[in-house]
Parts: sequence; structure tokens; C-alpha cells
Amino acid sequence: MNRPNRQTDSGRLSASEHSRSITIHFDGHSLGAQEGQTVAAALLAAGITVFRYTFRYHKPRGLFCGMGVCYECLVNIDGETPKRACLIKVRDGMRISTLLDE
Amino acid sequence: MTPKAFDLAVIGAGPAGSEAAISASELGVETAVVDSYSYAGGQYFRTIPPAFQTAHTKRVADQGLALRRRLRHSAATVYLGTEVWGIFMNKQEGRWWVALDGPDTPCWLRAKSLILAGGAYDKPVAFPGWTLPGVITCGAALIFAKSYRIAPGRRALVTGSGPLVLSAAAHLSRLGIEIVAVCESSKLSPKSILSAPGLLGHPRVLQEAWDCFKSLTSRRIPYKMGWSILEAFGTDHVNQALIGRVDSDGFSIPGTEQRLNVDVIVCGYGLTPNTRLPRMVGCRMSHMTECGGWVPWRDRRLRTSLPNVYVVGDSAGIRGSENAILEGRLSGVVVAGSLGHLSERRVDHLSARITGKLKRTRRLAKTLYSLFPQRPGWASLAKTSTPLCRCEEASLGEIETAVAEGARSLDDVKMVTRAGMGSCQGRMCEGVVFSAVSRALGADGLPQGSIGHYSVRPPLRPLSLGALAKAGPDK
Repeated sequence: MNRPNRQTDSGRLSASEHSRSITIHFDGHSLGAQEGQTVAAALLAAGITVFRYTFRYHKPRGLFCGMGVCYECLVNIDGETPKRACLIKVRDGMRISTLLDE
Repeated sequence: MTPKAFDLAVIGAGPAGSEAAISASELGVETAVVDSYSYAGGQYFRTIPPAFQTAHTKRVADQGLALRRRLRHSAATVYLGTEVWGIFMNKQEGRWWVALDGPDTPCWLRAKSLILAGGAYDKPVAFPGWTLPGVITCGAALIFAKSYRIAPGRRALVTGSGPLVLSAAAHLSRLGIEIVAVCESSKLSPKSILSAPGLLGHPRVLQEAWDCFKSLTSRRIPYKMGWSILEAFGTDHVNQALIGRVDSDGFSIPGTEQRLNVDVIVCGYGLTPNTRLPRMVGCRMSHMTECGGWVPWRDRRLRTSLPNVYVVGDSAGIRGSENAILEGRLSGVVVAGSLGHLSERRVDHLSARITGKLKRTRRLAKTLYSLFPQRPGWASLAKTSTPLCRCEEASLGEIETAVAEGARSLDDVKMVTRAGMGSCQGRMCEGVVFSAVSRALGADGLPQGSIGHYSVRPPLRPLSLGALAKAGPDK
């Protein structure tokens, strides 16, 4: 289950002069994100921690290594082959979905 | 069209690779440098948006900016956002062909010499529940805290061993996240720290550690030495952690367990060298636990067992960023000498200046390892049902069965269980499976090296068929 607003206040990425607020879509829901964030950062900031389900046992997985090594954070982005959420930067209007075990 | 030929290809533009490229190109070596990230500097010098910089990150951020500027102004050709998926020797030509996959980069480049600087990543330790969302590495926590100022949860347990555990806990606490405990596997006394050889000669390291420690104590966060995570619980997300005391070998002491309600567990057990590239090209490797696992054999000039192939920085053994910078510079000098850009005397002179400083950084690495060594008990945390290979979900039980049925090496286990065959290509599970196989074999009687390592073959990363087709022979 993904819960909203898990970001702490002091950790909040304010819509400062340094980054622009944009909108992304995750499994059909619209989320606010900041330009310059990775997909993983935007999802985590919105309280979304389950990024995919495994093929063999259908277990939930999310961010683990954060630097592109472990491939645990694979998600579907704009209909392309699954991408690592920790490496891809958000773009306005980006459509992201959970990588399912089908 | 024949790919562009360079004297030198540097793979990895972290502290070691960037310095190698700068130093070699300054000495007249025609150099290309490749990195999969969109900026140079690696994990240590990650870019931090100015809005998110703090006093704690500014010094390193400034150093990173300076490094990037020097690389940009150097004569080296820099390919960023580009993965290296294979390196092949063209024997007729006597040159390495480096296969690239990037948005605006050629498919290939050719080079006489290679400097491999693949860096390092968190050494995973498997415990029941370690695959749950909400269980993340120290590296991930530091990236999110420093680069994005995002707290990965509200209530955290930070666990593992070493300076990164302290650093991750401090950075998270400064974000205002509640840290219920920091569990450090090692038990250190102030005396053991002050009497550690050479540590007093590194005031900045001590100062950083002290600052981190103060961040914790001022917020009354317990720093529990001789404690460890035992298990993580949750269904779709971690919601509870079981911690307990561990003995000096890292084995849990029954009857000391405590349950903590948390929504994030940050774990860090030191780093492991990324040795995919040296292994793929065939460098001789040796297993050195104190260096983080498998490392390439090198002489004092950083030459590997293969001619014209050098490995530098943390990918040759975990020794930190300062050491990586020095090794990068040294390799640039040695390559320039090997290509005839410098006289032997000049190489000796320049090398001597760097190797003197390297003694100091290597001593520090040794001291830090002696304070926070890998403990045999870490491998005992996993249960029979715990997945060791996260990608293929091969459990400890499956690996033990494979060994019972005759598997004797990591590659044997891989063939039987698929451990190491998933998307990460064994990067995450290799150390964990290595420890499990050692234990299952009762490795006391066996040299650890005999278990071997996973074979590494191209493509190093999942690669699209389109990218592979583009690299075809007639292109």
C-alpha cells in the first residue's frame, strides 16, 4: 500500500526559486514533482514506495541502492522498456506505472 | 566507419577516473573518458542542487565543482550518460574496442590503454525482510538526504557497520526524520579510536565523525554499539524491525531482541568494489575481505596482470575518495610514461611524489577497516527462506541445497539456482552468496578464493536489441 505525504516538513522540497514544479502521473494519479528530481525521488516524496512486483513470487519491491546498481526500482515510463527510477529525471507530464509481474 | 582511436580510454569519471583523465591528457595522452551518469564526479562528488546545499555538504560540493571544471578544461574527450557494455581486444590491431550505449555517443571507441575506475557500491548483507520496500542502503539514504533533501520515511532504524552508518544517520537526523536507533555492529571505545594507527593524523576524518556523532547525541538518538538488525517485518512496506545484541563476531546473542516500529530501515555494511570491467577483460583477481571482496591484482604502479590495463580507485579496493584521486593521478602519469610521453626518470619522479601520499591514505583505509571489519556473523542473519539473489529470488535454502548436491563454486551455484542471473547481473548477491557458499562448505578448510566469483560477460547491463543492432559489424 502506498501512503501519501510521507515527506517530513523539514525535508520538503519547497517550490523554491531553484526548481520548477511539474506534474507527473503514477498509475493514473497526478502527482506534483520538482524539476531536477529523479523519478524515485518524486515517488518517494509522494509517499509511493512500491515500484514493482517480482516475477517469481509477486513480491513488492522499491528503491534499494539508489544509484543504479540493483535494478530494484524498475518502473514503466511513457510506454518504454522498464527503466531505473533512481536514474531517470522527471519530465512534465511523464506517465509512470508500477512494473507488474505479468 | 572505423571508430575513433584514442591512446587511452578511462571508464568511470568519479574521483579516480576524472583525475586519471586530467592527468593523462595534461601529459599529452589522447584520452577519452566515459561515465554512465550525466555528470562527472561519481557518487562521492554527486551534484547537489544549490538550493539543497548545507554547510555539511558545501566543502565536498565545491571540490566536485572544481574537479568537473578541470575535466571540462582538459583535452580529454568526455562521454557522459554513456554505459560501457563490453570491452574487447582486437588482437590484430593490439587495441581495445570499447562498446558504448548512450544518447549522443558513438557505438565504439578504440584505445591502446585502459584505466578502469568503476567505483564501488554498498556491500549488501541479507537478513529476513531485506527485500521489503522501505529497506534501503546507506548509499541510497545519503543520496536522498543530500541531493534531494527527501526523507525516505518518518521513523528510521539505521543499522550496519562503519563510517557511512554514522554519516547516513546524521544526515537523516538533520532532515528532521525520527531515528529510533542506530545499530553499529562493532563495539568501539574512545581509546580504540584514539589509539588506532594513523587516525590522529587525519583530523578532518575525526572532525566529520565527531560532527555526525554530535548530530545524533544532540537529538538524543541512541548509537547502540554491538547491536544489529535481525529481521524486518511488513507486507507491502516495512513496519517493524527486530534488533538484538551481537557478539564480537557479529552473531546475535539470544534473549536480547527488541522490536521497533519503523517505516524505513537504512543498512550499510561498508562498500564493495565494482570489478565488472577488470573481470570481463580478464585481469587476475584475488579475494581480499579487507578491501571489500574481489579485487584485481596490481603492482605498485597500478598495472594489472594484463598489459596496458590499469584499475584505480575504489574499484581496486575500498580506500576512499582521497586515495582514489591520488591513484587516478598516478595512473595518468604511468600511462603517459608507457606511451613515451615522459621519460622513465620523469615518471619515477612524479610517481614518487604521489606514492608518498598514497601510503597515508592506504593506512587510513586499513585503520578504518580494523575498526569496522566484516564480521562472520553477518552471513548468519539470513534464514532458509530469505532471498539472497534479489532479482531471481533464489533463497539461502536453494543455495544450500545446491551446495549439498555438489556445487563448489559461485558459477556452479549460479547455474543451478539462477542466483546472479537477473537484471543486476549478480552485483547485489555476489558477496552474499559467496558468504553463504563459504559457510555451507565449512570454508575453514578451503581457501576462500576457490569458490571464485561470477563470470562476467558482455553485455554488462541489460541492453536493448536496438542498441546491439546499432553496434553491428558493418557500422
